Formats: sequence, structure tokens, C-alpha cells
Amino acid sequence: MSAIIEVVGLEKRFGTFQAVRGVSFQVDRGEIFGYLGANGAGKSTTIRILCGLMTPSGGTASVAGHDVASDPEGVRFSVGYMSQRFSLYPDLTAMENLDFFGGAYRLARRARLRRAEALLGDVGLSADDPRTAGAMPGGVRQRLALAAALLHGPQVVFLDEPTAGVDPEARRTFWRIIRKLSDSGTTVFVTTHYMDEAEYCHRVGLMVDGALVALDTPSGLKRAHVPGRLFAVRGTGLDVARLRELAGVTHVEPFGAGLHVRGDLLTAEVLSEAVRAHGGQGVLVEESAPTLEDVFLAVAARSSAG
Amino acid sequence: MNPRRFVVRVFAMARKEWMHLGRDRATVLFALGMPVILLVLFGYAVSFDIDHIPTVLVDEDWTPESRSLASHFSSGATFELVATVGSAREVERLFREGHAKVGLVIPKGYGRELARGNGRVQLLVDASDNMTASSVLSYASRFNVWKNHELLRVHFGNRADLIEVRGRALYNPAIRSVVFLVPGLIAMIQSMMAVILTALTVAREWERGSMEQLFATPVGRLEIVLGKLLPYFGVAMAQLLLVLALATWVFGVPIRGSMVALLGISTLFLLATLSQGLFISVMARNQMVATQAAAVSSMLPSMLLSGFVLPIENMPRPLQIMTNIVPARHFVHALRAIMLRDADLSVLGRDAFALVVFALVMLVLATRRFPRRLA
Repeated sequence: MSAIIEVVGLEKRFGTFQAVRGVSFQVDRGEIFGYLGANGAGKSTTIRILCGLMTPSGGTASVAGHDVASDPEGVRFSVGYMSQRFSLYPDLTAMENLDFFGGAYRLARRARLRRAEALLGDVGLSADDPRTAGAMPGGVRQRLALAAALLHGPQVVFLDEPTAGVDPEARRTFWRIIRKLSDSGTTVFVTTHYMDEAEYCHRVGLMVDGALVALDTPSGLKRAHVPGRLFAVRGTGLDVARLRELAGVTHVEPFGAGLHVRGDLLTAEVLSEAVRAHGGQGVLVEESAPTLEDVFLAVAARSSAG
Repeated sequence: MNPRRFVVRVFAMARKEWMHLGRDRATVLFALGMPVILLVLFGYAVSFDIDHIPTVLVDEDWTPESRSLASHFSSGATFELVATVGSAREVERLFREGHAKVGLVIPKGYGRELARGNGRVQLLVDASDNMTASSVLSYASRFNVWKNHELLRVHFGNRADLIEVRGRALYNPAIRSVVFLVPGLIAMIQSMMAVILTALTVAREWERGSMEQLFATPVGRLEIVLGKLLPYFGVAMAQLLLVLALATWVFGVPIRGSMVALLGISTLFLLATLSQGLFISVMARNQMVATQAAAVSSMLPSMLLSGFVLPIENMPRPLQIMTNIVPARHFVHALRAIMLRDADLSVLGRDAFALVVFALVMLVLATRRFPRRLA
């Protein structure tokens, strides 16, 4: 497999603020590449640079063989882009929106109408839908935006938080479409802050404060960043500070309503005993599989400490 | 650049803008209603025809001669007798209170003096309103000449050697100021409307966020600019035709010259002002700033520097030169030439040239200043 996106030492500064700090990675053809990070970590900025919407302040990046700084025109023909904020025209219908953007991609009228109809079918929308985009529910609107990004048959699509503010059912539908895209050979570069969605990606990059701090497959990330056994601890009166000092415990992180405790030589029995001994009540300890959220917390904690 | 592809994209852009307009009833209503309201409002309000001036009479003589003079003086539509008072002092009081602007004072002994060939009356004018005052004074002197002619004829019959200058007003026989003003009004209204129409379009895309999506496509800057220009040209032309129709039907302004020339120069003028609006829109990035910049940059010059009200010949030289970059100035000139005088088309050459240059400069600026990236 050959790399379709190549990024080396990418930087972006806005005045004195450094949004992206020396990021390097490659994305292979047909891959679903997830970009994970908190708001303001530099995800959108990276995507915008890769789409030719912003010029990098340093480093190089090429997409489908086009350098983003010197050949943004070439980049635009090879990529589809779905921005974080819904940016189609709310007063136009699905078909009218696609008709326009097809025209913007230089598709002749008849060809783009055919293509738009087919794409709307692919994302589960109807070409005859009389609703304007503004009147559609969030999930439907996002699928329409995806169709718009795919009009010209791009080799890579960049999806910037495509499922933000969308209900779980609609998110699942959306990801089914993403997997289908990847199966048909389109490279998908997607940012999200839903950790469960990141599990669907072939590889995940983790961004903290503009830097790419980890990059691997979801299971590889878990192995590397959440070693040892992981226990979910629930109950009241949990004393985080005391637990950290416990023999065999390496990490204690708040997780949902309870805690995630990690350690190499721990067992559920020993841990629950110790928690009770330190004032925990109604304690329930279960061994659990690490999630990408554990990875994210471990990596973020390390990055902010360092 | 493939020219066919270029056209495809310009038309895709224009179609989209046209659809926005179709959905946006408020804008269409504003676009077609506003020029009509403005024309009617200004057309009736802005008039230099001064008549029905409130007048006070002071007749200290009270003879048949004085009464005859007074009734002659106020018989036309120019002066309207509102009061008869006892003294010139009271006339001043009425001036101060704003009840009258003119006082005719016929002194005691006027009838007797007139018989001796020495009739004198006094005309008091409130000159704080200089326009009314000069109009009154010029009417008074005409009245004077006319009255003297009459007297001379009475005394000497046709033997008198009299010079009579007879003026004939061409192109506007009744000397109605509305005939002169309406073409200027049309130019002013269309300047404002065209600039405001387009000023919002690019700014709106920035505010909606659709600009980002547009930038992600390979659509060119010139394609966006031209695609936005086309549909608004249609709207602006509809406005202009509406306003022209109104001008002829409601205000009786003639169109003596060629309709083709009128539409031709209108096309150039609309392209110039629409491009000005686009340039503002490209620079402004939000609709509020765009609206204000559009209003100021179109209204002030088209009102003050177009020759619509203030004659350009009377301006200081630097200002005169400046008026050349005001599209309304050329349009006002051309409209008056075509509509009122059926002028030879060669006098429009300068105007046409200036408008084309202005439109091109604005289009180039709008395109050049159009960013192709977010940052």
C-alpha cells in the first residue's frame, strides 16, 4: 500500500498561538484514519491545511501527490471536505445543494444531476425530498453534507467532526457509510471526540495541544499506553489519593461515575478490599477491557505532566 | 482555463444565487418595493417649484389703486394671502412666528403718487429661507416689469417703444423641477439599491460558513464574482425599469431619446454599481459592516457629487475632478441627455467610457481581494 497523505513536520501559527506543532504522519490509500483530540487541539486546523484551505507555517504536506502549499488547486480536485459547521445552503433542497456544488467541481449539468441522485441514494436520502437543508434533522443534514463532499469522486474525504451533536442511531448510520466508502477504496480522514467512534478507525492519531502524541491501531494504542490489568471501580467515598499509594497500582483515573485503576499485579479481590479499607462504600470492582478513552486519558495526563 | 468549464461554473453559481433570491421573499420585496417608495417619496418631497407662499398684506392706502395692485399680486398660485394686518411691524411678528414669508406693504398715498408716475410699494421677504427669498424677488421684479408695461400701454397706447424679452423654456416648457430632478433621483436610488444588493451576498457566505465549503471546491474567484453579479444584474434591471415606468407615468417625465441607448447606458451603470457592491462585500466579511459601507459609499456620492441637485460646474475644481469616479454622475448626465433632450449619442461616449472603466476596476479589485484560503 502506498501513502496517499504524507505530512512532515507540519506547523501552523496564528500570530503567537501555535495551533499545530511539528506533526508528521502518513495515511494509506483506503484507510480510515481517525484524528482524536480535545476541542482546540489542532484537529480542524490540520484538516484545513490538508484540504488546501490554509497555508502551513512550516513543514510539508501532500495529498494524492499534490503539495498543499504549492498546488492547492490540485488538492481540491482530489479531496472532499466536510467542515465541522454545516456549511451547505440552508435555504436550498438536497438536490439543489448538490447541483450547485457539482457545478463548482466543473461537472456538466446532466452528469452532476445523475451523480447527485446516485449519491443521495447511497447516503439514504431521496432526490425528491422537498425539504430545504435547514429544515432537515442534524443526522440527515450531515449525510447530505457527506454526499456533497463526494460529488466529484475524491480519492480522500476529510470529515471534521461529522457526527458532533447527532443522535447515536444516526451516528451508527453515518459510520456504516464511512466503512462502505473505505471498502470501495476511498481514504477517509475523520476527526472526532467520541472515543467509541475512534474504535472503528484503522489507525488513530492522538492530538494534544497541537502535537501528535500517539499514533497506532486502536489495539496497538491500548497495548502501548494502557499496560497491565484495568479495573473499573464503582462506589461512594472513593479516595483517589490513597488508592494511588496502594502497592501494585500504577494509575488511577476518574472514569464516568467511578474510577479506572490500573496495575500489573492487581487482582479484583485485593483491590476491592483495599478500597473498602480506605472508606469506600458499596464498592464494586470489575476487570474491564481498556478503551481508547483510557488511552486518551493516559496520554493526555503524560503530555500535560511533561 | 477551459472556457466551457468556466461558463459551467459561472452559471452554476448564478443559478444558486437566483434560487437564494427565489426563497428570500423579504429581499425581493425590499428590492422591488424600496425603489418605488424612494422615488415617490423623493419625487414629491424634493421640489424646487415654489408656490403658495404665505403672504401678508399691509394696505395703508386703501384706495381702488392699492386694492387693484394687491389683488393682482396675489392672483397667481405663487402667493397666498394669509392675513391682512395694520403695519409693517406686525408683518415682522408673523415672519418670526413662521406664519408668513412675504409681506406686501402699500404705503399711504400710493394711489396719489401713482397718478404722478411715482407709485412705490415695499416687499418684505423672510430671507432666512434663501431659496424662497430669491424666487420671490425674481417674481417681484417680473411683476414690476409686467405691471409697468401695462401702465405704459394705458398711457401711451401702442406708440410706446417697449422692449419685451420673451423666454421660451425648451425640453421642460413648464419649468417643473421634477422633470430635472427625477432622472437624478433614479440615478441616486439605483446607486444605493445596486450597491446594497450585492454588498450582502459575499458577506452572507462568510457568515453562514458556506464560504469554507466553497473554498474547498476548485471554483475560481472570478467565477464566484461573475456568478454573483449575473442574477443581481437581473434584479437591478427590473428595479430600474420599474422606476423608469413610474417616472413617466406618475411624474410625467418624458423619455424623448432612444430606448436602446437608455438601456445600454443603464446596463453599464448597473454593472459599475453592482461591482462596487461586490467589492465591498469581499472586503467586509460580515453583513452589518457591508450594509453600512454600501450605504455610505453609494448614497453620499450619488447625492452630493452626481449633479443630481448640486451643479457640478459650481464645485471647486478638485471636487469636480472627483465626480468623475462617481458612477451616478455619469448616469445622471446620460439620463438627462437621453430622456429630456434626445441628445446625440456622441455626448454619451464619455459617460459610457467612465462607467466601463469603473466597473472593470471594481471587478478586478473584487476578484483580486477575494481570498482563496481561510488563513
